[in-house]
Amino acid sequence: MAGLPVRGIKTVVEAIEDGGPGIKVYTLCDPDRWELPPFKPGAHIDIYLPGGLVRTYSLCNDPADDKRYVVAVKREADGRGGSIAFHDGVKAGDTLVVSLPRGGLRIDGAHHVTFVAGGIGVTPFLSAADYLARRGGDFTLHIIARGEPPLAAMLAPHRASGHAIIHDTRVSARPTLDALIDTAPQSAMLACCGPLDMLDAFERATQGWPAERVHVERFVAPALPIDPEARPFQLVLARSQREIEVRLGQSMLDALLKAGIDIPASCCGGICGACRIDWLEGTPVHRDRVLSPAERARSLMACVAGSAEERLVVDL
Amino acid sequence: MLDTATVDRASTFAPTWSGVIRHLHITPRAFLPMRSMPELNLVAGKGIEGDRYMIGREEGYYSSKPEEGRQVTLFEIETLIALKRDAGIDLGPEEHRRNVTTEGAPLTHLVGKQFWLGQVLLEATRLSIPCRHIEEVTGKSIFDPLINRSGLNCKILKGGTIRVGDAVRNA
Ligand code: FES
Repeated sequence: MAGLPVRGIKTVVEAIEDGGPGIKVYTLCDPDRWELPPFKPGAHIDIYLPGGLVRTYSLCNDPADDKRYVVAVKREADGRGGSIAFHDGVKAGDTLVVSLPRGGLRIDGAHHVTFVAGGIGVTPFLSAADYLARRGGDFTLHIIARGEPPLAAMLAPHRASGHAIIHDTRVSARPTLDALIDTAPQSAMLACCGPLDMLDAFERATQGWPAERVHVERFVAPALPIDPEARPFQLVLARSQREIEVRLGQSMLDALLKAGIDIPASCCGGICGACRIDWLEGTPVHRDRVLSPAERARSLMACVAGSAEERLVVDL
Repeated sequence: MLDTATVDRASTFAPTWSGVIRHLHITPRAFLPMRSMPELNLVAGKGIEGDRYMIGREEGYYSSKPEEGRQVTLFEIETLIALKRDAGIDLGPEEHRRNVTTEGAPLTHLVGKQFWLGQVLLEATRLSIPCRHIEEVTGKSIFDPLINRSGLNCKILKGGTIRVGDAVRNA
């Protein structure tokens, strides 16, 4: 993909440490130890892995630690391949491209936060726990795990201060979510991350709580369409006889670049005119501010244009 | 249509102004935060030492298209003040992602002209275009408000060190 604009943040793997059973902890830094783009507690990044896989991981370090991105990866032998590509393919000193951090937990101003984590589901809550502990915030972090808890070293200071409580299901009965939630003050914010059945149980257990104080971390990439009318569509490339999908919330330009098609781009906001391409069939939705009505009859700006129909044919 | 006489007169008219460098910033790679610096070394025909658009070691967002006219970029502090006043947007000098924040210099009038930044001689090549990614990087909706006032791209004709507090003046 040489010659394409830089699509992410270039990092190097500074360290790989053991994080407990089947878990490795990766510390990513700028090659010159420059500050990295800031993140909120509970935020995550996409990591571009060897073999072309892209996976999302929570940042586990304190947001005040501005030169490192720390992620914890549990090897899932039956997973979709991301954790194996990570564990087997990434070595200390390697270069990894990552996205800008996204998302995060809205914990500022909460009187108390009760976090409930199932096993490795603790990762989005570690940065939040560091953040709250540093600012004197009130919180309880419950970790339900079988045997040794994940990321014990990162949890150690919070266990010592009494903020983190480990529920080892080998030595005691698995606590019910109702029981854990009952210990939280009425004004608390509640957050859960873990296996799907646990998230579903948590949603049932918190039905009586105000929705704005309940957070369920599901790890589905949020689709953020610029335009509420936008929809996914098939982009047909007439000359190269290819078809690519433009997902909801994705720009046509991004879909083309990801498919390895080099389109010049500059502003990515429909004003500079760099990413102009010609279309042949379909109904483009123009959102640019450079093309005249006459030009729109032939061309579109790939960074902002959408399609009103399921199929759009372009001259590429 | 403007007649040639008007264009000639306006482009040779040298308004009196005197500006000053208020902030200097660089970053070695796309998307990384800008770091405030007390001084910067500008290399004629190349760029700023340590910055992402230094010709020959580009790691900026537009590195696929090295651009001779973007060796150093400038931004008016007056635009930051106007954004706050007119749109209620707080944008800091480290957030606009240009290298030099000036005060008192009519940057948009300098396209095609030469001027001094301390002891460094620049030629303004064109107005900068805002980039949609600045919204992702800053988390602020500033793309639209920055159209047509997103700074000035320049070539370095005579290099040297520039410092915060140096004068900006006509050549
Ligand atoms: S990249 Fe500028 S109009 Fe598309």
